[in-house]
Amino acid sequence: MSAIDEFEEAREDLEALLIEVLGSVFSEEAMPVWDDALPPGPIVSSRLAIHDEVDDSYTMVEVRTSAIVARVLASRMLLTADPGPDDLLDAVGELGNIAGGNVKSLLRHSCRLSLPLAEMTDDATPADVDGVTVRAAVLGQVVELTVHLAGDIEGLTWPGSASEEVVETPA
Amino acid sequence: MKILVADDSKAMRMIVVRTLRQAGLGGHDIIEAEDGKQAYEIARAQNVDLVLSDWNMPEMTGIELLKALRSSGSEVPFCFVTSEGSDEMREQASQAGAMGLIAKPFTSDAFGDILAPVVA
Repeated sequence: MSAIDEFEEAREDLEALLIEVLGSVFSEEAMPVWDDALPPGPIVSSRLAIHDEVDDSYTMVEVRTSAIVARVLASRMLLTADPGPDDLLDAVGELGNIAGGNVKSLLRHSCRLSLPLAEMTDDATPADVDGVTVRAAVLGQVVELTVHLAGDIEGLTWPGSASEEVVETPA
Repeated sequence: MKILVADDSKAMRMIVVRTLRQAGLGGHDIIEAEDGKQAYEIARAQNVDLVLSDWNMPEMTGIELLKALRSSGSEVPFCFVTSEGSDEMREQASQAGAMGLIAKPFTSDAFGDILAPVVA
């Protein structure tokens, strides 16, 4: 089975995953939507990669939503009425991290998860990728989750690396 | 009681602290760390009573943090709070000496079930 077929077969699970994650982090009911697109205007996205060392492939997990939703999310997570740009990136980055971890548990058990990279852009046009996108609405706004094979993981970083140095630090 | 919360997301650290309160486990001194390396240094310097740690963090992962603490002789109760909750990771956490793994998204019940025995 190709990766695309695998993602397609998991579509319902991905929809359920997105709804569960949104329902939890927003403490609001999230509903599946199929045709609704992201609104025009600034978009906040989070992307991370899952690296399969066996075949050296990268599965990309991307979460995208409007800056309006990102602002509400940051406000609720950080308990602040006026979240700044970094707060929006932190909140959507963590949303992507939760989604990515759950996608990994669903599709790529023994692989390595990158750290999330959150960005704000003015372009709501979805990237032209060969993968599966599921959408849900929360607070009347759309949130997208896309899973696809990635050729480009530029900008992503990986967890860990300083353990040896710290282990050698005298107690 | 000193509780160390390690996560590279400030938002998630705040949610963890809030969820502790909602689980009826609030009222303790909370110390925050932004990555595993910082968490290790704090845990060693301040004799914390409990570590709640993310798995994937810059500088040092949660599992590297746990192994480093155990290698240094620390037996501090350690629980993962992470987005990955597969059986494989739970097994890995348990073998390294973690008392549990709470998968995100989580509820206050999950916190209560796992942490109540060690949080007075």
